[in-house]
Amino acid sequence: MIRPEFAEENPGKKIIMLGNEAIARGILEAGVVIGAGYPGTPSSEILLTLAEMQKFYPHLKLEWSVNEKVGFEVAYGGSMSNVRSVAVMKHVGVNVASDAFMTACYAGARGGMVLISADDPNCYSSQNEQDNRYFGLHALVPVFEPSTPQEAKDMIKYAFDFSEEYQSLVLFRTTTRLNHGRADVILGEVKVIDRDYGFDWDRSRWVCLPSHSRVLRLRLLERLEEISNYADEFPFNSLKLSGKKINGIKYGFVAAGVPYSQLLDALNYYGIADKVSILKLGLVFPPPKELIKKLFAYSDEIVVVEELEPFLENIMKQIAFEEGYSKELTIHGKDIFPQNGEFSGEIYLENIARLIGLSYKKVSVPENILIIPPRLPILCPGCGHRSTFYAINQVEKMMKTKFVNSSDIGCYTLAVYKPLEGIDTEVCMGGSIGLANGIAKVQSLDNPVLAILGDSTFFHSGIPALINAVFNKNNMLVVILDNRSTSMTGFQDNPGTGITITNEPGTHIVLEDLVKGCGVSPEKIWVEDAYKLNETIEKLEEAVKTEGVRVFISRHLCSLVESNQFRAQQIITPSILVDQEKCNGCLICVNKFGCQALNFNEVYKNVTIESSECRGCKVCIDVCPQHAIYEEIE
Amino acid sequence: MEVKSYNLLNVGVGGQGVIRAAQILSYAALLDDYKVRTAETHGMAQRGGSVASYLRFGTEVEGPLIPRGKTNTILAFEASEAVRIFNYAGPETVFLINESIIVPPMIHQMGMDYPKLTEIRTFLKEVSVHLYFIEGVEIATSVGNVRTMNVVMLGALIGLDVIPLKKETLEKAILSYLPSKLHDINKKAFEIGIEKGIELRGGSID
Repeated sequence: MIRPEFAEENPGKKIIMLGNEAIARGILEAGVVIGAGYPGTPSSEILLTLAEMQKFYPHLKLEWSVNEKVGFEVAYGGSMSNVRSVAVMKHVGVNVASDAFMTACYAGARGGMVLISADDPNCYSSQNEQDNRYFGLHALVPVFEPSTPQEAKDMIKYAFDFSEEYQSLVLFRTTTRLNHGRADVILGEVKVIDRDYGFDWDRSRWVCLPSHSRVLRLRLLERLEEISNYADEFPFNSLKLSGKKINGIKYGFVAAGVPYSQLLDALNYYGIADKVSILKLGLVFPPPKELIKKLFAYSDEIVVVEELEPFLENIMKQIAFEEGYSKELTIHGKDIFPQNGEFSGEIYLENIARLIGLSYKKVSVPENILIIPPRLPILCPGCGHRSTFYAINQVEKMMKTKFVNSSDIGCYTLAVYKPLEGIDTEVCMGGSIGLANGIAKVQSLDNPVLAILGDSTFFHSGIPALINAVFNKNNMLVVILDNRSTSMTGFQDNPGTGITITNEPGTHIVLEDLVKGCGVSPEKIWVEDAYKLNETIEKLEEAVKTEGVRVFISRHLCSLVESNQFRAQQIITPSILVDQEKCNGCLICVNKFGCQALNFNEVYKNVTIESSECRGCKVCIDVCPQHAIYEEIE
Repeated sequence: MEVKSYNLLNVGVGGQGVIRAAQILSYAALLDDYKVRTAETHGMAQRGGSVASYLRFGTEVEGPLIPRGKTNTILAFEASEAVRIFNYAGPETVFLINESIIVPPMIHQMGMDYPKLTEIRTFLKEVSVHLYFIEGVEIATSVGNVRTMNVVMLGALIGLDVIPLKKETLEKAILSYLPSKLHDINKKAFEIGIEKGIELRGGSID
């Protein structure tokens, strides 16, 4: 639930907002109508906040799309129809959307169109830390990057005006610390856009076939030129010139986004903010050439402070070369700052100190450091994924073989850790089935190939890969872990629940029908409740031993969602106990199943159940070979 | 109060209310007219993982991250988490630590031990002498709801007189995030936390 003031008009009021909430507010203030995307950390709260605002602003038309490409297309369809539209996704989602994005940039925007890419330096919750500023360079589209939540709100509001003025798409790039950081934000006015909405049948623009695209490409290049010429006046770029020297050298810093704010802190820390020139970029592509030339003229050494790739550094070097500064000017970047990970506060302090010859004293550390074992992210108590992976492991053991468990992105990726160690691959959304297609072509029949993925991931991009498997006879067992929720990113609904982002009934897509529609024979589809362990093992064994492309749907509502529902409805879950007479301390439940509610007591060498953790799923009753675990009947 | 920059690092385990505390503290800092920045861990961390939130406020704060060694106060809702981030502290850093340890599952299966409270005390004493422990869970339970632990801890921050926020604004910020039926119990938790903080400091509040 959002705080009510997020949605109130109240221009001028100062409140605390999360970066993502501020972005949502900016989208609202801009008069946007369509918002679409796919959940993904650190981007998810943007559309969720808008969905809460929608209660007060019914003109907002929002959706969780099935994947980022569809989400982008939904928004772009809106732009074609003259409404302001936004597509929201995490950085790797842009890869999925890029097929549409790379050509949409040719036809450009009619209604203001912004693509938000939430990048994740340090891979806090991502499979890579790709730098999506390159997508702007690649698509010849301007890239905006805010450095604070306030700027994010103001800049995205401006982005829609900009997009319409230049008929250009805008790539709005953020990083985790902006998305998931709070700050004071002054609210602005919520715009009311008064214009006719609807499609315009401009085929020469919207039909990107070769003869049109050649023309559109020229227009795209012209647009980029116009934007490039305007870059020096871009309101979120600023240049502060100093001309003073530190140890005989005039320094000029270049930064954008969160690193700009952190750089200011570091310069203030050393008391040198007034002794250096600083070019702050809000438009990171295309570059403001005049501002850059002025900075060059005032500096002996340029220091580009940016996380990940040397994007701005290379631009600076190119301009220095073109403008004849390459001999007299030293341009620092990745020779000083790392190319991987997020910059922690001390990275700024240490490296700036080293660069300009100041002393930076590292914190002294006690000699014997007390090691704290990590808290690995693990599946929750009562998670249906745990019982499914346990069942897969049991079948594997019974068949005395090793499965290839090609897997995917979701909570179940956590099954890679002990004790389940149930997945062997994870590359990208939907990749489990795609990879299994290739693996199955050469893998010995002694090692059955499984593709294991969640319901939302299957809807996202598993479907084409499954059709491919059926079509090309790449035999595998697809296990869909159907927990009726997109849990990893915050329990968003999906086509499997049929509930839309604004909590309205959509259409519920039945997974069994869908896989049948993909060409899987009805006799090769199994469905079981993930909490019924013995039945799951039995059916899984049958499914593994069957030939062809098979699908096993293991179904149980996400245990966190279910326990919240139980709490709300005051439903009491069964209480599960261990009969200490029967428990022989074999520890199979703890060492092979590994639910957090199962506690091993080292002193007594026995197992007890922590009632505050236990969700009453009763799966451990079936796991225990001694039949020592039981449900207490009152 | 004229404060250039105040850095607080709040740590705990997913589910203990670290993010909520960040919301409350940043709102209180806004009410006291400071420029505010936070950085928080969202996403995967909510499932029993380590959670850290950086809070910075003052007239001269720009970015959300705190450099190592430069933290004014470390507020730990779980004791071992204070050790995990100890290098953010310097000799002047104040530690306020809830005396409970949540042992992560699977530790024994992985053949590891988890540190005891005495080891944590001994270690942190070498980092800073400004070390305060509080039985947050016990106090919250005695107030009548274990979930008020984080409010007890916020009260103790005021009682210890280590955070430049007004007591009234912090209380207002706390209540603004709670339904009215929970106001009385949380006011009580806040007051007891303040008393506990004063007691730990061995003095009186101005």
